[in-house]
Amino acid sequence: MRRAVLALMGLVTTLVAPAAMAQTTAIVHAKAYVQPGAPPMLDATIVIEAGKIKAVAAGLAPPPGAEVVDAKGAIVTPGLMNGASQLGIEEVTSTDDGADRAVKAGPLGAAFDIQYALNSNSELLRVARFDGVTRAMTLPTGSASAPFTGQGAALRLSESADILDRPKAAVAVQTGGPSDAAAGGSRAAQWLILRNALDEARAYRAEKHGLGPRDQVLNHLDAEALAPVLDGTVPLAIAATRESDIRQAIALSRDEHVRVVIVGGAEAWRVADLLAAAKIPVVLDPFADLPYSLDEIGARLDNAARLRKAGVVIAFGMVDDLSSVYESYLAGETLREGAGLAIANGLTWDQALEAVTESPARIWGVADHYGSLAVGQDADVVIWHGDPLDVSGWPDAVYVRGAKASLRTRQGELGERYAPSHANDLWPSNYR
Amino acid sequence: MRTSPALCGVLIWAVTMASTAIGAAPKAPPAARQPLPYRLDPYPSTYRPLPRVDTLIKGATVLDGAGHRLEDADVLTHEGKIVAVGPGLKAPAGAAVIDAHGRWVTPGIVDIHSHDGDFALPLTANDLQELDVSEGSDPNTAQVWAEHSITPQDPDFSRAMAGGVTTLQVLPGSSNLFGGRGVVLKNVPAVTVQAMKFPGADYSLKMACGENPKFTYGPRLKFPTSRMGEMAGYRQAWLDARAYKAKWETYEREGGEAPARDLRMDTLAGVLDGDIRVHMHCYRAEEMADVIDMSHEMGYHVAAFHHAVEGYKIAPLLKREGICAVVWSDWWGFKMEAYDGTRLNAAILDSQGVCVTLHSDSPMIGQHLTLEAGKAMAAGRRAGIDIAPERAIQWVTLNPAKGMGLDAKIGSLEPGKDADVVIWSGDPFSAYSKADQVFLDGALVFDRADPSRQPKADFELGQLAREPRP
Repeated sequence: MRRAVLALMGLVTTLVAPAAMAQTTAIVHAKAYVQPGAPPMLDATIVIEAGKIKAVAAGLAPPPGAEVVDAKGAIVTPGLMNGASQLGIEEVTSTDDGADRAVKAGPLGAAFDIQYALNSNSELLRVARFDGVTRAMTLPTGSASAPFTGQGAALRLSESADILDRPKAAVAVQTGGPSDAAAGGSRAAQWLILRNALDEARAYRAEKHGLGPRDQVLNHLDAEALAPVLDGTVPLAIAATRESDIRQAIALSRDEHVRVVIVGGAEAWRVADLLAAAKIPVVLDPFADLPYSLDEIGARLDNAARLRKAGVVIAFGMVDDLSSVYESYLAGETLREGAGLAIANGLTWDQALEAVTESPARIWGVADHYGSLAVGQDADVVIWHGDPLDVSGWPDAVYVRGAKASLRTRQGELGERYAPSHANDLWPSNYR
Repeated sequence: MRTSPALCGVLIWAVTMASTAIGAAPKAPPAARQPLPYRLDPYPSTYRPLPRVDTLIKGATVLDGAGHRLEDADVLTHEGKIVAVGPGLKAPAGAAVIDAHGRWVTPGIVDIHSHDGDFALPLTANDLQELDVSEGSDPNTAQVWAEHSITPQDPDFSRAMAGGVTTLQVLPGSSNLFGGRGVVLKNVPAVTVQAMKFPGADYSLKMACGENPKFTYGPRLKFPTSRMGEMAGYRQAWLDARAYKAKWETYEREGGEAPARDLRMDTLAGVLDGDIRVHMHCYRAEEMADVIDMSHEMGYHVAAFHHAVEGYKIAPLLKREGICAVVWSDWWGFKMEAYDGTRLNAAILDSQGVCVTLHSDSPMIGQHLTLEAGKAMAAGRRAGIDIAPERAIQWVTLNPAKGMGLDAKIGSLEPGKDADVVIWSGDPFSAYSKADQVFLDGALVFDRADPSRQPKADFELGQLAREPRP
């Protein structure tokens, strides 16, 4: 009985964890980037209460009793969001241990859903947060039913175990030459299978009692997983790099009346106007400028700037393909460095900030509660030392849903353990 | 600057003799002898500097690579060499003058660990099966030479040039205990590898510790399947090489029938002769310590540990041994031997006097090496280890030059050195900056403002996907 009570108390503690945020915090004297497109608010006060942005205004006096944090004129932004990662579903890239990014056998295609694999104790999450990332879209990388790779989820990088922000935030699809073997050896098959799947999911839904008389390729799990795509509440996240595949994705969106997000998009700049007209956003890798495969001969560093200029909504992410040397173990640092490179290649600073905050939030359906410092949003807030979008800067403080997060990492602890000041210690490092 | 191949060979031979004379039996005067065949370079450089103009760069913030930062300073080049660095230099008649006020100038960037050319893009499905980076047939492939895998028309080279890289060491991969010979290249566009080879540069031997060799051969149930097996593999090969070298030296002394050539042993004997520099891929502290003991046991020196993810755990040892640590700024955790990687590696090593170098190992990072230094510098600063820009620039200039034995020629803007110079649009450690102009041996090989000075690989020529659609 006592055990049960304790367990219950544990549960209660978990449930009321946000109540700890009832503590009010006021960040004062901030150079705050409140909303995309708006100039920074100088001498801003940001009031955080119950995990939310309670107020934000220039020169506002902190509420009585609030913990006051003086930003001393530093840049304050929303926590950053990585628009395409494998955070929470991979640990040590070279081993299968702890890696749940793909399923190689079994019945699951579109239905494969990585939300059940998320590991809130992953060190990769801490390292990302150390670099100012508080949200991330996590996408699976392969299923047993190509070209589907499964369902992704939006994460919040809080210190609690509760890191799932929005499950089933996308149904992911992989297209293109390097991955066509799983669909039989031609990208044409990928597109046919994909179109057929949407067709069958539609037929399945029309039948109240399950599958109809047709000879279905799709099983009921996959058919059900595609229902929100048909409804338009969830996008198809189509990984595509070659222009022809991006054009196919645009055509699919038009013909099937589904929302599409291009992930990767190395040659997307070539069809920027079409993407803008079709309101198809692109989550791109700002480092991609090399022809790693014949599918990305047109890769170039001003992809982001050209897309944005044409009116395409863009976000940045580390897309899991050959061109991405940076995996999720650097989900924050490379996001910022990549944003800086995009700026060096024609994007404005404000546009780059938007591409790592509000735009990925909109693309993946969490903008109702994250993505800006507007009143009512989750209080994901970063106080920066220097420039968040250049490699010389870093976060001085990170708040996730109103809670100030630890910025400790194993890397930092190893650095302390082996600091030069210990060079002459008589006792081994393990005692430190 | 033109050096005949024959002259090069003699010079190499003379140096070799000098280094092996210590403690050896009395020898005939070197000039009277032919060099031993395994010490010759049958693939000599045919590099010639591109057409150049004497240049005065005026008014820049100069990080000279020798440890100094000069404001509003000038850099003068003459016939491909640095002549002077300082304030108020006068332009000689005929010199081009470049106004660099508000811009930064550094030595040409040196990438000591590149696979450009042997990881030539694009990679097809076939390439992914059998990359040209490693010869995967045996754990000891000391007989292979990276230069024989290099595709000079790899688009990576011109991308690296746009990032200020003027010198690269291209290494074989890390699948093997002995991966083969690496080669130092001038980053000039060329049709042959010989035309890129850095004249007079030492060859290197790429060796590898840890997970890569054992995970390459273990699954095939081939030696080595363990880390202790790897150590045994190196040691046996060194013993064989010592015997091989002794055989040749006996032949040199006493004549008789020449020993049979063995290409593997040629390379290892070259290391024992002191002609070939060892660049060794190792992540873990204990592995590096073992390799250091082995180098003493067998009689050679490790020039640099590459990746050295746990270098920070043995900084005093690396310092004492005079071994450079060639590291990433931030890679960690992508395999178990990288699990203890920390962004503080470079800063901790540097602050204890170790020769630190940031490397690429990737054509993407190879375009942004100053940002690698910038990230490592920022990580140090964030943890309270302050490293000045004039020092951090050495991580990608003078220190890699030292690691390759080329610091008398490149790596800093000092009179008499090769005029490898980069003019940056701003602080080279900022993601917002770009290389505006790149000089190699005094030739303007890249100019961001002039499309005719932006070399393009053959592969990229006429590619519709790169051209605007009509």
